[in-house]
Amino acid sequence: MSKGFVVFAQNTKTVDYVRQAYALALSIKYTQKEVANISIITNDEIPKKYRKAFDQIIPIPWFDKKGDSRYATEHRWKVFHVTPYDETIVLDTDMLLLEDVNVWWDYCSNHDVRFCNRIKNYKLDIVLDPVSRKTFIANNLTSPYCALHYFKKSDYALEFYKTLEFVCKNWEWCWTNFAPKQYQNACSMDLAIAVTIEIMLAHDTVLDNLNPLEFIHMRGSIQGWSNTQASWRNTVTHVLNSKGDLVVGNIKQSKLFHYIEKEFLTEDIITRLEELNGQA
Amino acid sequence: MTTGAVIFAQNNASLDYIKLAVFSAKQLIKHLDIPVSIVTDSPGWLSTGYPEHPFDHVISVDFKDTTQLKAFNDGALSLKKLEWKNFIRDQIYDLSPYDRTLVIDSDYIINSSILKPALSNQYDFQIYKRSMDLADWRPTNEFERINQYSIPFYWGTVFIFEKNEITKALFDLISYIKSNWLYFRNLYSIESTTFRNDFAFSIAIHIMNGKTNGGFAIELPGKMIYTKDKDFLISMEDTTMRFLVEKKDYHGEYTLTKTQDLDVHVMNKLSLSRYIDGGIGV
Repeated sequence: MSKGFVVFAQNTKTVDYVRQAYALALSIKYTQKEVANISIITNDEIPKKYRKAFDQIIPIPWFDKKGDSRYATEHRWKVFHVTPYDETIVLDTDMLLLEDVNVWWDYCSNHDVRFCNRIKNYKLDIVLDPVSRKTFIANNLTSPYCALHYFKKSDYALEFYKTLEFVCKNWEWCWTNFAPKQYQNACSMDLAIAVTIEIMLAHDTVLDNLNPLEFIHMRGSIQGWSNTQASWRNTVTHVLNSKGDLVVGNIKQSKLFHYIEKEFLTEDIITRLEELNGQA
Repeated sequence: MTTGAVIFAQNNASLDYIKLAVFSAKQLIKHLDIPVSIVTDSPGWLSTGYPEHPFDHVISVDFKDTTQLKAFNDGALSLKKLEWKNFIRDQIYDLSPYDRTLVIDSDYIINSSILKPALSNQYDFQIYKRSMDLADWRPTNEFERINQYSIPFYWGTVFIFEKNEITKALFDLISYIKSNWLYFRNLYSIESTTFRNDFAFSIAIHIMNGKTNGGFAIELPGKMIYTKDKDFLISMEDTTMRFLVEKKDYHGEYTLTKTQDLDVHVMNKLSLSRYIDGGIGV
């Protein structure tokens, strides 16, 4: 059974998601002892320097236009159909893996689909996100995070992703029927997955409390600060040291770090990741 | 393996910490039944003022003038700046005559045997992290993290350690933090210029944990229950303590509160001192 990570990258005018994916790939190569495969799904050009970080560069299939929706997520359901691996962990590009997460594979291998439903702030406290999850709370939906999820090639996972495709293509109808309160005017992948879970009654099949999938989310509103700043980087210091430890506010970050702000990924960070991979 | 307790008592011009330590030691012996020693810079005053003191060992340390002042409330309406000598806590590893030592502040009043099981645990280091204010309306943020941007807060008020290489490293680290307080204060975004053992312990534990959530420091049983220096201790009878605690939105007014069979950190030392003298603490 082949295993690997997959990221979806669609550059916009303001964000170079391919560059983010490259940094994530470097972090995976440095930290993962057993499963360090990573493939990228993109229609953007990959600079030569980045290519060797990826096992496969996969074009987005059935592509008729560049993502012009608010979240540019309408193609992400396709990941199931193009992943080169039997078992896949899907990550957002604006993340860094900081520790070996082989235990995730061990756990998830017993399941068809597993979504992360637990996040932490940089203080390593488990937190809820009532600000950005208003729609989920108002409609009594589950709170899955597409930014970190697992699936294996199986009949059940195929059914799940086909339902997700339906939701993505008919999100207005789905929102009206499953998420009418605090109505979202765009197709967000997390909400699409929550609705898919409702349609398939998959609450216990794709989510559970023992699930080890978790990540550190740097959204300002969940950091436990009395005044939320526009940028978390203006509030707490951070450093990626020569051992690959990412320390934020003097706290060593664990497992998977979702930095959100594109400015975090400076050339210094990229260089450090390259050094850690012996590329300096 | 010897087990005992140590209380620090360094007097200043306004407060007789030795008096508090004698009172606190008697409570400790009554409920935990272990020997108690005192670390003090005023052994003469101890033998003169309290010849019947209950201490197993009197550990003398050099008298040093300190320039560190701390604002102490005495109820909600009174504020005094007093000398605050808290610079020798890190030396406890060398000063303690016991293999396993319970260290308490002189204003920590033992009224239960809740710490007894912890004295026979094999852990290297046990300390309080969780706490509870008797005035349940007051914000507790300052005792959850050393500030809102930083690391978990641990109480240096009560802890138990066993002498070994690991705890030696901890106290060496605390000494290092104390010696470089300006640096660590800035590093951890601590606004107060006053050196606090709570902060030094919190930083040291954080470092011993590899700067992440770790299991180096085991939490003591229960919670650190405290009243702040804006409250008054008014009576104590057997294991029952009565306090006037600051009233929400009514500055200078108080609510009567009672504890029973609970150890309490009485931060209003002046009130505790008056109570010991036979007053009602107000």
